[in-house]
Amino acid sequence: MADRQWRGARPLKPPGQGRAAHKILAGMAVLAVLLLLSVIIPLVAQAVPALNAAFLFGRAPGSIAPEAVNTVTMVAISAAVSFPLALLAGLYLVEFARPSRWTRAFDQFTGTVLSVPSIVVGLVVVDVAVVRWHWPVSTLTGILALTLMNWPLTVALVVEALQSVPGLYRDGSWALGASRWQTVTRLILPLALPQMIEQGGMAVARLMGETAVLIYTAGVNVGPGWALGGPGESLAVHLWLLRTEGVTDLASSQAAATGVVLLGLVFLVLWGSRRLAEWLQDTA
Amino acid sequence: MRADRIAALVMKGALALFIAVWVMVAVIVGAGAWRFVSANGLVGPLVSSRWSPLAAHYGILAFVVGSMAVTGLALVLAAPGVLALSVTGARILRGAPQRAFIQILTLFVAVPSVVYGWWGLSVAVPLIRRLTGTAGFGPLSAGIVLAVMIVPTFSIMALQTLRQVPSSLVEGSLGLGASEDQTLWHVILPASRAGLSQGFLVAVGRALGETIAVQMVIGGQSRVLSLLKPGATLTTQLLTDLALMPARTPGHDALDFMALWLMILMAVLVWLQSRVRGMSRG
Repeated sequence: MADRQWRGARPLKPPGQGRAAHKILAGMAVLAVLLLLSVIIPLVAQAVPALNAAFLFGRAPGSIAPEAVNTVTMVAISAAVSFPLALLAGLYLVEFARPSRWTRAFDQFTGTVLSVPSIVVGLVVVDVAVVRWHWPVSTLTGILALTLMNWPLTVALVVEALQSVPGLYRDGSWALGASRWQTVTRLILPLALPQMIEQGGMAVARLMGETAVLIYTAGVNVGPGWALGGPGESLAVHLWLLRTEGVTDLASSQAAATGVVLLGLVFLVLWGSRRLAEWLQDTA
Repeated sequence: MRADRIAALVMKGALALFIAVWVMVAVIVGAGAWRFVSANGLVGPLVSSRWSPLAAHYGILAFVVGSMAVTGLALVLAAPGVLALSVTGARILRGAPQRAFIQILTLFVAVPSVVYGWWGLSVAVPLIRRLTGTAGFGPLSAGIVLAVMIVPTFSIMALQTLRQVPSSLVEGSLGLGASEDQTLWHVILPASRAGLSQGFLVAVGRALGETIAVQMVIGGQSRVLSLLKPGATLTTQLLTDLALMPARTPGHDALDFMALWLMILMAVLVWLQSRVRGMSRG
């Protein structure tokens, strides 16, 4: 609206003048988008020869079905564990705790642990779960690692979504006699939910692509069937392994195909969470 | 009101668990780093670049320099792209094309880093190999891959900041007769300083902490900075040596030492971000 106003004022100046830098930047942006597309297009092009039903769904060795199952199950379980825990912690921080030096220090704490590199988390999980607790390198250990990775990000996104609900709504609810708990469950959560779901989709998409944290925790092998204590190579780890160890033509097209499947899952999660968020927004 | 108290108790428990677990993570890394420092000293390993665990030499200088070089290179290479994409998305496109543009950038933010690593191996490394006649693995390739990887993240943040510049400032500038270019350089960009710094720090954090995409193209040798020869960073060395040095060996403590440095660097970046946020308010 405001933008339209100042664009409307443009005829006062000779048109087309004083926009040279904008034009150059637009040209550079086209180049940048092309560069980004150069990540996706060769991937899809190289993947085509390997993308067939036997590779995607087959039971013979070389099929990526077990990796896909491992990825989806590990991500789903970690998300299912970390989201409720993070929701509770976030609700306390925003809706129950009084803002103080401690809550600000906690923001700093979450921000720091949220940016801890995934290989550092991998190192700690190996030291604790694999070495000290004697857990096998398996889907179970992978789930632990992914849960640890996802937890801080989820706390941060819950806090952000809750803070986006205006404080006046809370005042109104309390003034009408509602308790904090009633305010949170009947008013704040329904309002914050769409944003949480959309951002949660981003978090889940990030988990699907996690590689460094899973190499030594979930491992680089797959078992004959899915098991909680069985080897848990994920799609991302498979892609990494094929591309850093394999040099044959077959391996490189399989690596690309694995990447395409991974991207497909990531985009599916993003699309699904966005649609769900929109639907909730509309029905609310 | 009783429900309030029970709920608060459960939530406090969840929060305490979160804090306890992550403090434990820091303690575990810190304990290993402490054992390392008491055996090898604090300064020695930081100024030595000789990394040969079998001879009990743990100089990490090459990795520290490697991390900084790769991150710096990525930011320099990414900067023009970020400027172009954010200005285009915030100030040139309008309406539906703008929304589509932002959605496409968001999709690229979600592309897993291993896919960017794949791109590095399949596109960037062969290109560098052809252009320079070297093997193609090294900090230069890693910087290029990281640059492509952080462009979407950084651009989205910059774009949102540029959009939030109050239109009164923009209209005032145009009304006083400034051209749109002048308005961009002298009003919009300076007014977005805080948000741009924030995006910059996030990009630094992402580049510094990135492991897999860098590991795939950097070559993995401890060597103090040569852009075109295989090198290593803190994160890539952690990845390769985690398999070689099992827990409870002296070499393993060196990994904790490197991990602790990464965590400290991240804490500094987050602290800087909170300072920048204060700047935008005041």
